[in-house]
This record gives sequence, structure tokens and C-alpha cells, in this order.
Amino acid sequence: MIVAVATGGFVFAGLCALVRVLVGPSLADRVAALDVVLVSAMGAIAVDAARRDDPSALIVLVVMAVVGFTATVAAARYIMSEEKS
Amino acid sequence: METVAGSIMVLGAVVAVLAGVGVLRFRTSYARFHAAGKASPVAFMIVAVGASLDLGWGGASRLAVAVGAIVLTLPVAVHLLFRAVHRTTPGDHLVVDELVPAERRPY
Repeated sequence: MIVAVATGGFVFAGLCALVRVLVGPSLADRVAALDVVLVSAMGAIAVDAARRDDPSALIVLVVMAVVGFTATVAAARYIMSEEKS
Repeated sequence: METVAGSIMVLGAVVAVLAGVGVLRFRTSYARFHAAGKASPVAFMIVAVGASLDLGWGGASRLAVAVGAIVLTLPVAVHLLFRAVHRTTPGDHLVVDELVPAERRPY
């Protein structure tokens, strides 16, 4: 029951950020909102690993964190490259 | 599952909902970046504490690495977004923009 509430919270947070991805005026808003979607997915994975009581699925969290960081940095550099041209 | 771990995870979910609503509702993009760059790592930290209470030492070590990865990298990435937006779009909604003299100085 508690797990359902926690997972529901993460799903709601991801949906709010997803609305910002669709609505977001500028590209940077979309990138930041996608980051929030990623982190809430990571939280849901952590809750699910705790529910199933096997710590094997937690390595993917580290990979998601690093990939999310790289994607945001790449998008930020792309936005900055537009300013120079 | 102990109610203590579950309640900590629900607290982390509440902070994540705050982050999501913050990203959705804030008016300027700078405020949205604050919500994305600061609230979501905190939410993940709280959930990681709750989950590691339940998973024992094996899961706690993996979660500690994940928390370290997210806390060290996400604010830096969102700071880059701040800088990218600040340089490309004219900051009309900023009341006082102290960064302009520093940035526009000829190198």
C-alpha cells in the first residue's frame, strides 16, 4: 500500500514534467523537464527494487544518472552554440 | 516492508511531486531550472535512504553510488542550462541582472 503511494507520487511528478516537455516554450525548458522525468523514473525504480527486495536493478540508476547528465550537457552546449552563430 | 522505510519513500515521492509541479508551474525558465536542478536530487536522496533501509547493505551501497552520481552531476548540468539560456535569450524578466557586465566584458 505504501509502495503504491510512493510510486504514484513519482508517476505524477513524471507526468507534470512531461506536460512541461510538451508545453515548454524553449528547448532548455524541455531538457530540464526531461531531466526531472528521468529522476522520477529513477526514484520509481528504487521504490520497486525495495518492494521486490532484490538490489540487482540498482546499477541501472547509476547509468541513468550519467546518461542524463551527458544529455543535458550536450543540449546546453547546443543551445550555446546557436548564440555564437 | 517496514513502515519506516515506506514512509521515508513516500516523503521522497512528495518531494518529487513538488519538483514536478515546480517545473510545471513556475513562470520564468530560470525558476523552472531551480526546481529541476535542486528538488529532484533531494527527492532521489530521500527515496534512496528509504530504499536502502529496506534493502540492507548490498542495496545501500549501490544506492549510495547512484545518489553520488545524481547529486554531483545534475546541478552542474542544470547550471549549464542556466548559462546557455542566459547567453542566448535577452533576460527581459530579470529585474536586476548582475551577470551582464561580467559576461559582456571583452575577453
